[in-house]
Amino acid sequence: MERFDTPSASAAGPTADMANATADRFERDTIDILKRLSRRPIEPTLDKELMADLGFDSLQILEFIGELEDHFNIAVPLNSLTHIRTVGQIVAEVRGLAASRPWAPA
Amino acid sequence: MSSRKTIGEALVAAADTHFGLRFIEHDATTKVTSYRDLLADALCIAGALRAHGYTSGDRVALVIPEVSRFVHAFFGIVAAGLVPVPLCPPAQAGDVATFAKQSLHIIRASRAVAVLTTDDVAPLLHASAGHPDAGGPLSQTFHTLDQLRTGDAPLASPAALTLDDIALLQFTSGSTALPKGVVLSHGNIAANVEAILGPSGLDARAGDVAVSWLPLYHDMGLIGMLLSSLYAPADAVLMSQVLFLKRPSAWLNAISTWGGTVSYAPNFAYELCRRRVKSSQLAALDLSRWRVAGCGAEPIRPDTLMQFADYFAPAGFAATSFLPSYGLAEHSLAVSFAHGGLDVDVVDAELLVQESRAVPVVNGAASLRIVRCGEPFPGHAIRIVDEAFNELPERHVGSIVAAGPSVMQGYFEQPAATAGALRDGWLQTGDLGYMANGSLYLCGRTKDLIIRQGRKYHPPDIESSLADLQGVALSGVVVFAITTVGDTDEVVAVIETRAGGRGPEIEEAVRRRVRETAGLDIDRVILTPPGTIPRTTSGKVRRSETRERLEAGTLVR
Repeated sequence: MERFDTPSASAAGPTADMANATADRFERDTIDILKRLSRRPIEPTLDKELMADLGFDSLQILEFIGELEDHFNIAVPLNSLTHIRTVGQIVAEVRGLAASRPWAPA
Repeated sequence: MSSRKTIGEALVAAADTHFGLRFIEHDATTKVTSYRDLLADALCIAGALRAHGYTSGDRVALVIPEVSRFVHAFFGIVAAGLVPVPLCPPAQAGDVATFAKQSLHIIRASRAVAVLTTDDVAPLLHASAGHPDAGGPLSQTFHTLDQLRTGDAPLASPAALTLDDIALLQFTSGSTALPKGVVLSHGNIAANVEAILGPSGLDARAGDVAVSWLPLYHDMGLIGMLLSSLYAPADAVLMSQVLFLKRPSAWLNAISTWGGTVSYAPNFAYELCRRRVKSSQLAALDLSRWRVAGCGAEPIRPDTLMQFADYFAPAGFAATSFLPSYGLAEHSLAVSFAHGGLDVDVVDAELLVQESRAVPVVNGAASLRIVRCGEPFPGHAIRIVDEAFNELPERHVGSIVAAGPSVMQGYFEQPAATAGALRDGWLQTGDLGYMANGSLYLCGRTKDLIIRQGRKYHPPDIESSLADLQGVALSGVVVFAITTVGDTDEVVAVIETRAGGRGPEIEEAVRRRVRETAGLDIDRVILTPPGTIPRTTSGKVRRSETRERLEAGTLVR
């Protein structure tokens, strides 16, 4: 599986550009995964709710979380799972978790 | 016959062995505890609960998402002589409102004295109870395990109980309007576990290891996996359902790694594994010791199981391991197990539907494939009866009724519902089936129930949640499942619309509302003019007739 969030890869490139590039990547990859897992064509935007707007059921949501965890190498806490409703909240959660990894670049 | 034990006695007996439990949480972190340590911790928790003044028979609601904590808390409540009321924890995105609503209903209906939960979950319940239509603040005392463990007066042994005492209040899932608590005695559970472990059940043997991701707030996980392992006693690996749903391969990895011999799951789990475990992962799996692959809790599709067996054959999985099963909470759990792998009866579709007879198909007629679900356990009985309660001959479809020591005591404080379910000691299962050569075959159900991934939903709850939608005619909503033998339910909503409403918008609103309030996906929304849905003279919708007319093609002209 392709992993472009390894420490060595993240360490490359100027720090200033990285904040932006990182933000784009979390959002872009999250939305790509959502589209791949959906049973029908969807256009996920940050304000969309997974269940109500995108038609994900509880099973698909957990499949989605599993894919996110593998892709970004993170573990989403149970308590966060309960509260996340929108795509934007998920992107924020993933970004926060990735930043808190012990080996994340400063 | 072995002498049956209360759960507390079984825990004490298991504590004298070297067996124990391995917990695998949602993030794959693992903890191991021996039954000996589990007993010690349970007695500590029990001492603290007793110190709060709770007395034998009091109900304690149990809402804990983590597997290890749930199990410790469960045995703490049992050791104190109290009655656990397990609740489904919040797990999925945006589901907080549904979770809180169902939990509050159950906490109130069970008249629990306390709620044993976590610091994460407690605020969700408190916040929700504060809503004006939620019945006001909860009077129950809230506890967490950590608080209770600081108690310094552990009980010396579990509270002395008899087999007649109430062991468990198991609320049937999905219902919000009328939650019904299935009352099980220690004798019920001991009898059912004895049947499960016996030669007509799993045929438990030395070296068995149970591996399960099934939720512990439901009968199949709690009684079938956890309590059966305790009573055996044997080692068990208990995994978080969230971990399984995130990564189905985690289930099979655990079976492979820990030498699992017994594992159970509903049909959908086998489908999920075949779809989501990559073929590149097969080489690392050893499923050759998995001798009992139980399947139950929702309709069994022969194709799903055969595809699973083919796909995982290279990992050593044997199709003969399949153990199709039938059971329900009102019968503690298990009613019958079918030994010898997947056995399919191919019957004439026309005769089954038109004449309710299951006749083996002859040359080329349209056929249905029905999975054999086994024979009754020793000391238990199954009958197929007609509407007048007369027993039907073999290969005639009727209502399945069951009797024996596993049948529940009744529904908690619901005498009318209890009287409706129990007739002269016979439990009306609400399921339809037939017997052939002494074996039970399932063909659907009499109750208006929707089953999705082993979860039950009650149509009246869903219908009432749609009543106030814009564009929907007054009481113009019927929701039901079209059940096909050997297939998953198709959930249909028939909606009468007001003039001027926009179709696509109403349809989307219906789907959205049902997802939000029940967490259920509607497969088909049918919009019709007012007057389409058949009603009683008093104006109540006729759900079964609506379904029958739809299937016959005479509902919408």
